[in-house]
Amino acid sequence: MKSSERAPILRLDNVTRIFEGGSGVAALRGVSAELIQGERVAIMGPSGSGKSTLLNLICGLDEPTSGSVYFDGADLAKLDDDKRTKLRRQKIGMIFQTFNLLPTLTSVENVALPLRLNGTSSRAASDKAVAMLERVDLKDRFHHRPDEMSGGERQRVAIARALIFDPLLLLADEPTGNLDSHTGEDVLQLLDDLHAEFNTTIVLVTHNEHAAEYCSRHISLLDGEIVSDEPFFRGSVNPKK
Amino acid sequence: MTGALTLITGRQWRLHKLRLILTTLGIALGVAIFFAIQTTNTTLVDSLHTTIEKLAGKATLQITSGDSGFSQEYIKTVRTTAGVALSEPVTETMAVTKLAGNEKLLILGLDTSSDLQIYSEMFDEGGLVVKNPLAFSSRADSIALSRKFADRFGLKDGDKLTVQTQEGAQELTIRAFFKSVGAGEVFGGNVAVMDIYSAQKIFGRGRRIDRIDITNSPDVSVDELQKRLTSQLPDGIKVTRPDLRGQSLESSVSAVNAGLTIMSFLAFIICAFLIFNSFSISLNQRWKEIGILRAIGVTRAGVRRMFLAEAAILGVAGSAVGVAAGYVLAKAAIGVVLNVSQTLYGLAASPKVLEFNYVFAAKAFVVGVIASMLAAWLPARGAGQLDPAAALHNIETRKQEVVARVPRLVLGVVFVIAGLLLTAFTRPAVGMNIQLAYVLFIHLGMILLLPKIIEYGGKILRPFMNALFGAEGLIAVETMAKSPHRTASTVGALMVGLAFVFSSGAFIVSQKAALNHSLDKSLNCDIQVASSQQLQSSTYHFSQATTQRVVSIPGVDVYDPIRVGSIDYRGDTVSILAHDMNAYFTISPDLLDSGYPQSAREITSRGEGILISNNLALRWNINLGDRMKIDTPGGSLDLPVVGTLDYFRSEKGTIFLDSSLYRKYWNDTDADYIFINLKPGVDATDFKQKVFDALSDDQNAFVYTHEEFKQWVSQLIDQFFILMYLQMVVAIFVAALGLANTMIISVDERQRELGIFRSIGGLRSQVVKLVLLEAVAISLIGLGAGAIAGIFNAYFLVNTAAKVVAGFTVHLVFPYSMVLLALPLVIVVAVAAALWPAIKAARLRVVEAIGYE
Repeated sequence: MKSSERAPILRLDNVTRIFEGGSGVAALRGVSAELIQGERVAIMGPSGSGKSTLLNLICGLDEPTSGSVYFDGADLAKLDDDKRTKLRRQKIGMIFQTFNLLPTLTSVENVALPLRLNGTSSRAASDKAVAMLERVDLKDRFHHRPDEMSGGERQRVAIARALIFDPLLLLADEPTGNLDSHTGEDVLQLLDDLHAEFNTTIVLVTHNEHAAEYCSRHISLLDGEIVSDEPFFRGSVNPKK
Repeated sequence: MTGALTLITGRQWRLHKLRLILTTLGIALGVAIFFAIQTTNTTLVDSLHTTIEKLAGKATLQITSGDSGFSQEYIKTVRTTAGVALSEPVTETMAVTKLAGNEKLLILGLDTSSDLQIYSEMFDEGGLVVKNPLAFSSRADSIALSRKFADRFGLKDGDKLTVQTQEGAQELTIRAFFKSVGAGEVFGGNVAVMDIYSAQKIFGRGRRIDRIDITNSPDVSVDELQKRLTSQLPDGIKVTRPDLRGQSLESSVSAVNAGLTIMSFLAFIICAFLIFNSFSISLNQRWKEIGILRAIGVTRAGVRRMFLAEAAILGVAGSAVGVAAGYVLAKAAIGVVLNVSQTLYGLAASPKVLEFNYVFAAKAFVVGVIASMLAAWLPARGAGQLDPAAALHNIETRKQEVVARVPRLVLGVVFVIAGLLLTAFTRPAVGMNIQLAYVLFIHLGMILLLPKIIEYGGKILRPFMNALFGAEGLIAVETMAKSPHRTASTVGALMVGLAFVFSSGAFIVSQKAALNHSLDKSLNCDIQVASSQQLQSSTYHFSQATTQRVVSIPGVDVYDPIRVGSIDYRGDTVSILAHDMNAYFTISPDLLDSGYPQSAREITSRGEGILISNNLALRWNINLGDRMKIDTPGGSLDLPVVGTLDYFRSEKGTIFLDSSLYRKYWNDTDADYIFINLKPGVDATDFKQKVFDALSDDQNAFVYTHEEFKQWVSQLIDQFFILMYLQMVVAIFVAALGLANTMIISVDERQRELGIFRSIGGLRSQVVKLVLLEAVAISLIGLGAGAIAGIFNAYFLVNTAAKVVAGFTVHLVFPYSMVLLALPLVIVVAVAAALWPAIKAARLRVVEAIGYE
């Protein structure tokens, strides 16, 4: 992979992850890549190719068996659990296929949660959450709980939560996987708009080629290895295809 | 299918060992308390029966008259009655010796010049050993000891034994020994025999005896002889079979029995709720598993059977453990109960070796298994009714649980109100079992209202938890409030446990308040001088000379010597208090609750009327002006009731009459208490010392100021309720177990939520805080619900235990300070109970938790 003139926000250095048990499954094998600030990268591949594992390693939820993951200049393996955890509310935003909102909290409360965990006052966090929800076009849903909203609305709340602390990196794991095509399109468009506004680096894990079209770089995984890493230009024929 | 379901249940047990242990422990606790109290109650009563029957020897009839005795002149009447084969007069004195620990000794005064065939078990050949029979019978200080007692203290022939008497310490000489069998083995062998006339003299009995033991001739039946003797003796002297005497004493301790039974019932409710809690939680935990089982073909009945079978097996295991633990508990409790009986009622019972009662054990075992299955019934039914499709949804799409439906709430309110109204207007004759159903209504009602209580509690707590503890506090409250199925059973267990604690405390405080009020009204003297440390003693009294010595001390303004006795009134043992009624009214002018004080004073002073306690009036529906027939050793008294007052000495009731009547009809001039009002300016503490100085060398006396006496009575109440205090500790322990159980399951059930929390930046320490705060929120709502249920419970206890059992009117005094004091304790217990689950939650692997289904 070519390095850019700008310093990479994320660097994977020969990362391998083997899960114990049975014959020892190698979910990732010698993966190396660099991402720079503002990139939008789609990681694609069939089920079992190692996409989710890679995502878990990037956000510090998991640790590599060998190799290193550097985020914002720091080797994640050298950080303790608290420091890695804090990254997820200060620098890395996460969006999940199953939304993963807390069912007992309202939209405002869910969105404000990372700020409150950081020590921001309730009022300040709520004000910011309200603004973010308005940004994702959910001003009529401030006090609704997840079970009172549609799938698309829940995903918008999840996006708002992921972006409320202006993260350097946004990780989205199949964000449209549980949505119908029309709603999924809305969510992808929203991500696109937010990327333009915040210049957040986005890593989008998906097996949906249409979703991947919103990204300017496609990395394909197969059996835990990168088989291709190519730029992608939306709206035009990909010169490599 | 049974095998498959057994396998599934077995795997569950292996996975959730702690929940399994806690559930079994809950069953075991309930069964243990139930079995221990049944055994203790029976052992107490059996001890009384055994004591009487052993002391009776071969007697087929006994003649008695309350606990103050009767004139020995009736011996002649008995002996000349046809059909009497043998008759022996007896005095019974429970004397305090100067041996180590002030050991007590029952000294039987017997006619040692007779052959004592009635007590041949003790005195048959080889049984009675007298070195010098002539010396024994000619010396008034001779005493014979049981072998057991003598061996225990290394006493030999010729040794001296000092005992406390009314006239001071007296030295007796040991001149004989007898076998520790029959009467010789009661009170653990603490039995001695003296010549009856010597005993009368040394113990100041005058010409009074306590009973006459009789055997009938073979040609005359016991019933016939009983009729003949009854017709020849005054109404106040009773002729009874020894076993029926035991029944009469049994009714004296009925308050203790009833109190213990109520306590065991309440304790059982707590444990049953713990079981219900555990199975409800199990249902929540196995929601998806049940959905899958139903999806692959297990019927609703099959699911229900799985839960009920689990309950039955745990019930068997828990009940077995409970019976064993209950036996140990009973052994610890019986000593306390026997002590209470002696202190409060003057009833000394032989400390019986506690036998393992197989019938009670079987009863407790069956009750435990049935209770376990009944407690699991609703969760089992719920499990059978689960919609498999809904059960397999993921967490965000599960609808908010709607359990606070209107019909349930209405039913809850109806039950609570019904229970309270029935309690308020219950008639005493209804019976204990029906009355216990009232408290069951109240608890059922509160349980039905739990979801609403949790909802409102959550609303109240939310802003405080949010402000004080930030996001973790908010999530904790919301999680608690939005999971009523999980939370309700735990809040319920806490509610029931804490309600028991608060209501027990309220009952004790109310009793003490009522007693203090009564003491201020009816025992309003500056100084009380008592002859015994027990509430009543059949042995130690003040002679007239001693009383005179005390009241002659300068500083005495008014004095009232009081004799305490008892009579049989319509089958109950009712207390008699003989006062100088004129002095009594002077000392306690606000004595009466009903009646005209001035005329009551005049009439009673003349011996022409009596006062009675309110509970006696309530029990027999006696009104002012009604006449009461009182059977005394000296004949019948027929007197009008001229006043009533609240008096808590005896749950069967108390009669107050003038000492002139008592002297005339009981032939007794002794006193048990002396009430004294001091002249103005006389210092109470100085006066106390003067009393001690006046009596120091020869008479035990217990001198109290008014406040000190109230404190002493308060300590007696604490003794009476000691078992209740122990049960309060058990209740808190059981409630804490329930909370720990819930938090463990809560963490298991919410792994995904906690994983999400961690994935968006929640630290491990914040997870710990969140779980602990949830436990605190649950316990705070449990505390609030427990306080409310505690007030209702206390109302029931005050109305039932006090009013119905004893006829006492006790106004409810709820110790709100106890609730406030419980607050930090409850929080500490909640944190302790949730600590391990919180740590476990903090350790969960986030990736697995998010993928957790």
